[in-house]
Amino acid sequence: MNHLRHIPLLSLAAATVLLFASASVRAADVKIIANDSVQASSVSPDELKRVFLLTKNSLEDGSRAEPVLLKGGAAHEAFLREFLGKTDSALQTYYRSLVFTGKASMPKTVSTDAEVVSFVVRTKGAIGYISVSSIAPGAKTLEVK
Amino acid sequence: MLLAGACAVSALSAQDLSNYTSFTVDGKTIQFHGFVSEGFAYTNDNNYLTMDTSNGSFFTEAALNASSQISDKFRVGAQVYMRDIGHFGQWAPELDWAMGDYRFTSWFGVRAGKVKTTFGLYNDSQDMEFLQTWALLPQSIYAVDQRSSYIAHTGADLYGSVSPKKIGTLSYVVWAGKNPSDLNGGYAYALSTIGVDYTTYGGRSEGADLRWAPPVSGLLVGASYMSRDVVGNGTADFGGVSMPAHEESNKEYLQQFYGQYIHGNFHADAEYRRYFRGILFNGSQVTDDDRAWYASAAYRVHKRLELGSYYSHFVDVRPYTGLSPDNPGSYVHDKVVSARFDITSHTYFKLEGHFMSGYAEYALVRGFYAPQNPNGFSPTTHMLAMRMGFDF
Repeated sequence: MNHLRHIPLLSLAAATVLLFASASVRAADVKIIANDSVQASSVSPDELKRVFLLTKNSLEDGSRAEPVLLKGGAAHEAFLREFLGKTDSALQTYYRSLVFTGKASMPKTVSTDAEVVSFVVRTKGAIGYISVSSIAPGAKTLEVK
Repeated sequence: MLLAGACAVSALSAQDLSNYTSFTVDGKTIQFHGFVSEGFAYTNDNNYLTMDTSNGSFFTEAALNASSQISDKFRVGAQVYMRDIGHFGQWAPELDWAMGDYRFTSWFGVRAGKVKTTFGLYNDSQDMEFLQTWALLPQSIYAVDQRSSYIAHTGADLYGSVSPKKIGTLSYVVWAGKNPSDLNGGYAYALSTIGVDYTTYGGRSEGADLRWAPPVSGLLVGASYMSRDVVGNGTADFGGVSMPAHEESNKEYLQQFYGQYIHGNFHADAEYRRYFRGILFNGSQVTDDDRAWYASAAYRVHKRLELGSYYSHFVDVRPYTGLSPDNPGSYVHDKVVSARFDITSHTYFKLEGHFMSGYAEYALVRGFYAPQNPNGFSPTTHMLAMRMGFDF
């Protein structure tokens, strides 16, 4: 019977492993892509967050940074959850509060991964996110670390 | 009128308005955004905000803006705003903001022109109720009848933000400028009810806001300070005797402290403000000292439905009305429950109940005025407020 005492601990350990596993799966649901003009090969989560919250218009290396967002979908939800910590509704309210007080313009928003890629490829400094399974010919992929 | 507004809103929201908000001229994208909000208020007692609310009153706000990113670092824009809330606004179009914004880097930028004043959580956006859960923001701090006095300045801001490793993000704004002269606002109206008619009212203000988003997701804390030096000129008619009226600030300042926490669908705010005002009116010293705070919480229970509540507390501890702070004429305490229905992502309807005690008399400019309440004030007021609107 003694081994039964370990069952709750084993369950807790299993749950912890699953929790971390699911977190890493979520993080891997999106990849960050950028225009070739962006010199950096990686970006920090904080820097990415500030670019998408429009409080930063350049990266640490001095490259111009212009965000492009998806209107919805799994990649969009994963990106908001992982990097911005806001729901879509809260993010839209945040953007509108900046736009209607004159403190920023509304960032570019498109419907599909292909449109994100197209905008990123043709726009200097553009940074976007797409599903990890999508391809992004002509754009560079940024590592988040 | 509300029904007509609803029909208009439905017709407009049937289109994807976001498709119509920008076009390109000479390679530059110009964005257009706007909103219209129609409100209705019904009170069981005491008419509120200069409206005939005991019989039900409608009120309207609207704005339209245009902005363009001229270069990587330079942006320009302007917004026109109008409102019709009882005697306030009277449909007179106001230049809400119009400015150029040059961001040298993330930690230093300059805005100049007519600029919305960053002060506390919502001072700069208090006229954009579609951004909020509430039909009326907590009136202890964001009083509808006072907002034109604080909402913007004509001058310049220095602003920026930094993210030192491991301590989160610090953002600052420092500003100086001239306050707008709004003769359709609550202060000028309050004075007119006792025979003082200003032809000019406004002056200089300067201040700062510092806010910190620590490395705790969704948390924000901050503090703001504003100093004002205001002059008013006009005529006074006291008992049939007409004379010039002149007012000037002796010492006037506002201090505000605030916190916000957002986690998923949950959202909580709390703010505290002290407003000290010492003026000379025709050579006589007049002083008041207001303390105001509120705490609010809201939760989005469904993609289309958000529920929330707040408690809002205002008291003048040294009223020049001559009343003690525990007299209902010195305070307003407001308990509020609210529901916001998002019909589409750009169309909404709000339903809100207010349970107010106190009526902070006219001189405190808190929504209760004698001309609309000729038989005196009741100590409590219950109000049903509704809002419907859209933005694009």
